[in-house]
Amino acid sequence: MNRGTRASTIGVGIAFGFLVTGSGFGNYTIIHQALLLRSWYLFAVFGSAVAVAAAGLALLRHAGTTRYGGLLRLPHGPARRAQVYGAAIFGAGFGLTGTCPGGAVAMVATGGLGGLLVLAGLVSGMWLRGATARPAAGQQAQGNS
Amino acid sequence: MLKVFPALLPWWVAGPALGLCVAALYGLANRRLGVSGAWLAAVVAPLEGWRGERWRVEFLAAMIGGALAAGMLGSATRLTGYPVLSRIVPAAVLLPVLAAGGLALGYGARCAEGCTSGHGLSGCAAGSPDSLAVTAVFFAVAVAVTFAAHALTGGAL
Repeated sequence: MNRGTRASTIGVGIAFGFLVTGSGFGNYTIIHQALLLRSWYLFAVFGSAVAVAAAGLALLRHAGTTRYGGLLRLPHGPARRAQVYGAAIFGAGFGLTGTCPGGAVAMVATGGLGGLLVLAGLVSGMWLRGATARPAAGQQAQGNS
Repeated sequence: MLKVFPALLPWWVAGPALGLCVAALYGLANRRLGVSGAWLAAVVAPLEGWRGERWRVEFLAAMIGGALAAGMLGSATRLTGYPVLSRIVPAAVLLPVLAAGGLALGYGARCAEGCTSGHGLSGCAAGSPDSLAVTAVFFAVAVAVTFAAHALTGGAL
C-alpha cells in the first residue's frame, strides 16, 4: 500500500465521519422522522450525495484511471437472492434502531450510548452470518463493503 | 418542525460533500467506500481468524476520528441516542430491541454485502444493479417497520 492511497483513505475517512455526524445520520429523531416520511432532510442529503457521487464517477469512468490505485474498477453485478434477503433483514434493523453501521458511529460520537449496544449487535450479527453460512459464503463475504 | 435542523449542516452542503467523499475514494485509491465492510475487517475478521484488509481498518479509525471531531465541535445536535424511545419504552424492552436491531443490521449487511454507504451511496452512484435493488429493499422495509412501530405504539413513536 503506497503512501498516497493510505493518506487518501484516512483523509476521506475523517471527512466522511465528520459529515455523517454533521448531517444527523446519528440522530434517532431525524432518522425516525425520515422513515415516517415526515421529514425530507435525510432523503435530500442522501439523494444529493448519490447524484454528486454519480457525476464524479462518470468523470472518473471517462478518465478510466485513478490517482494512486491503478485502473478504475467500479462494482457492477446483478442482485443475488441472498443480497435481497439480507437487505430486508438490514432494513428491519434500520427501522428498529433508527440507525445504520455508519450512523451508529455518529450516534456514539455525539454521546448516544445506545449506539454502543447497536454496534455490539452489528458485529455479532456479522459473526452470526459467518458462522451459519456455508463456508463458501464466508469467503465471498470478505469482499464486503 | 424539528428544532434541531438549524443545528445541522444544510442538506445541500452535507449531501454533495458526502458524494465527493465517495468519488474521491474511488478517484484517489480505487476503493468502494463502505462502513459495514470496515467493521467486518476491523472486528469480525480477527474473531474468525482471517486478515481484514488494512485500509478498511484505517478507514474506520479515521471515520471514528471525524465523527468525534464533529461531535465535539457541536456541528451535530446533542439530541441524539434514544431520548424519545427511552421515555416511551421501558429499558427492559428497549435494550433487547436495540441489540436485536443491531444483530439484524450486521447479519443483513453481511448477506447483502454492504450497507447504507457501500450499496446506498457507492454502489448506487456506480449504477450497480445489486446496489440499486439492495437500497430499494432496505429503505422500503425500514419505512414499513417504522410505520408498524408507529401504529403499534398508538402514534407515540
